[in-house]
Amino acid sequence: MRESGIRFVTVLGALGVPLVALAGGGSVDRTVAATPNGEVEISNVSGTVDVRGWDKPEVRVTGELGADVERVDVDSSGGRTIIKVILPHGSHNDSDADLTIQVPKMSSVEVGAVSADVSSRGVLGTQRLKTVSGEISADIAGDDSEVRSVSGDLTVRGSGKPLTLRASSVSGSLDLTNAAGSLDVVTVSGDARVTMGDAKDVRARTTSGDLEVHAKMTPDGRVDAEAVSGDLTLQLASPGALSLEIESFSGDITGCLAGSVERVSKYGPGVRLNVRNVEAGPRVRAKTLSGDIEICNK
Amino acid sequence: MNRRIKRIDELAQDIPPPRDLWQGISAAIEADKAAAAAPAQKQSGRRSFWMPAAGLAASVLLVALGVYIGQIIGNKRGPLDRGVAQTVPAPRNENTPELRHAKYTNQREELLREVNAKLATMPPADRAKVAASLETLSKSIKDIEAALGHDPANALLQELLVSSSQEEMRALIAVRDSGREEI
Repeated sequence: MRESGIRFVTVLGALGVPLVALAGGGSVDRTVAATPNGEVEISNVSGTVDVRGWDKPEVRVTGELGADVERVDVDSSGGRTIIKVILPHGSHNDSDADLTIQVPKMSSVEVGAVSADVSSRGVLGTQRLKTVSGEISADIAGDDSEVRSVSGDLTVRGSGKPLTLRASSVSGSLDLTNAAGSLDVVTVSGDARVTMGDAKDVRARTTSGDLEVHAKMTPDGRVDAEAVSGDLTLQLASPGALSLEIESFSGDITGCLAGSVERVSKYGPGVRLNVRNVEAGPRVRAKTLSGDIEICNK
Repeated sequence: MNRRIKRIDELAQDIPPPRDLWQGISAAIEADKAAAAAPAQKQSGRRSFWMPAAGLAASVLLVALGVYIGQIIGNKRGPLDRGVAQTVPAPRNENTPELRHAKYTNQREELLREVNAKLATMPPADRAKVAASLETLSKSIKDIEAALGHDPANALLQELLVSSSQEEMRALIAVRDSGREEI
């Protein structure tokens, strides 16, 4: 029985026929054949999107649909699976779709949501996760991944292996742990806390949020942090002596490496900390307007 | 006794001012902050009143250049960055800093109109949160401009102004484009 069901969806998927969960509420449970390292695109306005990587060459979509959800389209062809929650035109009172989507673990996943919360676990391919006001909680292991929101908070867990990751939120906060490699982090008013292993290239910026970076720098690692009124806390272990280029217009510079802070001008504001060590060694650059900077290598 | 200066490099390199200038600068920044918090009609023109013209002009042109560079960077990023990031760089003969600034100003105003329209569609709680963040960005730029007006050659302030202006554009585009693909 189950085998014939799989054959049925496999044939439909191979023909590129969209599978549709008719709605007006209720539930959805659809499975389509998928390429093990294909692309999966998911869009959902509100509710939840829970993505999970698994070992099967299939994409399975299950979940509950609000009364105003028209349908869920599931379309698989050419190595790409598209899952789209369709709402009728006009206002909606109950447009939540709470979806769990199982995908081949090597898939590349792209999720677009408005107010839906997004979570992801067990996916090893590249992930692009975007929401407007929803929260994102994701395990990220694929290179060239991106996580961003406008007002939602971001919780991101790396795999500990080096990768390139961009994470940004306008007014949400960011908590990134177990990352490594190259990282680009931006918040405007939200706080950001980054904990990472081998830090190769870290760029972090906030306007008014506080930013913390705890990292173990690679021998040629770079950390570039900037804030306007937010405070910067940089706890950076390194294999060699750090070269530092740190300056604040009206904030303070403190910490265990702040021994040789000097005033920028005898008569104006500003403090800076310039330490030059091995040219090719690890380097830290940090700038603020009025935020304080704490720098330490312990 | 007084020697006639014939070349600029004969000028003294380090002449201490007769008093600590920071107190005055700090007071001016605080005054500007207070003015920013006051009704709009009261603060109109105030910044240009106390900000030295040279500093303001330098800031403006600096932002124009920085934003222009930001657009070029944005163009290289691909389809995830749309809108302003996809605007075509001006022909060489239209590439003056003044024209770049004019373009930047126009694009920013257009973006603000679109962002306001987008904000109006957001739930009240999200709208307030995002609007507050955008206001934070705008205010931070004004604070940097205020300090730069008194210290136009300050490299740190120049860098912060450029990156903050670029960040504001990125944030405005992010808000404008938010949810477009999903609705």
